[in-house]
Amino acid sequence: MGDEVQPKEQLKINIEIPFPDKRTARIAYDVLRVDKEPKRSGVVKNLSVNETVLEAEFSALLARQLRVAINGFFDKLDLIAETIEAIGPPVSDSYSHY
Amino acid sequence: MVTAIGFEGSANKLGIGVIRDGKVLANCRTTYITPPGEGFLPKETAQHHRQKVLSVLKQCLEEAGVSPSEIDVVCYTKGPGMGAPLSTVAVVAKTVAQLWNKPILGVNHCIGHIEMGRLITGAKNPTVLYVSGGNTQVIAYARKRYRIFGETIDIAVGNCLDRFARVIKISNDPSPGYNIEQLAKHGKKFVQLPYCVKGMDVSFSGILTYMEERTSNLLRSGFTPEDLCFSLQETVFAMLVETTERALAHCNSSEVLIVGGVGCNVRLQEMMGEMCKERGAKLFATDERFCIDNGIMIAHAGAEMFQAGVRMRWEDSGITQRYRTDEVETVWRVD
Repeated sequence: MGDEVQPKEQLKINIEIPFPDKRTARIAYDVLRVDKEPKRSGVVKNLSVNETVLEAEFSALLARQLRVAINGFFDKLDLIAETIEAIGPPVSDSYSHY
Repeated sequence: MVTAIGFEGSANKLGIGVIRDGKVLANCRTTYITPPGEGFLPKETAQHHRQKVLSVLKQCLEEAGVSPSEIDVVCYTKGPGMGAPLSTVAVVAKTVAQLWNKPILGVNHCIGHIEMGRLITGAKNPTVLYVSGGNTQVIAYARKRYRIFGETIDIAVGNCLDRFARVIKISNDPSPGYNIEQLAKHGKKFVQLPYCVKGMDVSFSGILTYMEERTSNLLRSGFTPEDLCFSLQETVFAMLVETTERALAHCNSSEVLIVGGVGCNVRLQEMMGEMCKERGAKLFATDERFCIDNGIMIAHAGAEMFQAGVRMRWEDSGITQRYRTDEVETVWRVD
């Protein structure tokens, strides 16, 4: 504590992840949007999906906070992609149990 | 007829299982084992689950021999447990639910243990002792909830045993508790240890500190590691039997069910069995397949909930590190 200068401005990162199709982009969005960032992480995460592109917007005061959140985000994204690869393509065009 | 798949990963065990109408079709598990003297930490445990989860899932589906279309509901552990491992496994469960277009259901880990214990043993309405590395609770059912009659006020009994295993540097394979149990069988001399029952609650952290501070002296003054394992087990199990007995008497129950990882300790089962015999009660316990964390218990509890009409909104399919046993309304129980 104390040795870190608190910048006044929020740091922001926008990430766009392209998917092969709308459905898988939507799956990744649905799986990721449920997990809220931990309260003390200091990070605000905003997810949206636009056609085949998953859009993520992160903001925080410290670069360290952003790094942690984005690492976690990519870890999960990677796991989702691997799961889709292992299980096979979705059986339906939309999810019917929201 | 409900067919359910369950994903469990709240601690160092990763389990996936498939159940159909109370019949176990597959129950696959892998454990993250740390070197002697070390415990498992959230980050490394999550990495372990991350590396293994898809191969365990594949193995489980092959063993179960069901096609995804036959599965009615995808269940996962919502909590309580370590955040990172929980959320890693939940990500896979949610993705699978989406790919198969099946409903998702978050299950309370403690409820999973209790319902699995009831299914395997056939106990109807038991007083439950739930003992593991993360939890220690004496539970009885009343009016649509599993009520906590007594619990640990600090660390779980399994945590106390695991950490003592680290003090004397015994192997964590297959589990520290199992190795303590084997050593304890050869213990001869009893060391008097603090005995810490507070009303209906128990406390283990003081006993652990006592052991941590004195173990090297005790070993030098003629006690063996076997003696210490024996003394520790006798002391902490006596505390558990005492509180369970009180709950049993209070509820006028005639059944005791032991669940959770520590529940497969045969010495604990013996001591509890003796108490039950004196009271004319019946003891129910299971072996390591169902006692130690597994996916099938999550599948089974989820199937019970699903059949009773419980549904979860997608927005609620997150995880929570704290999730008490009595937060869940047991709508599937008709008594």
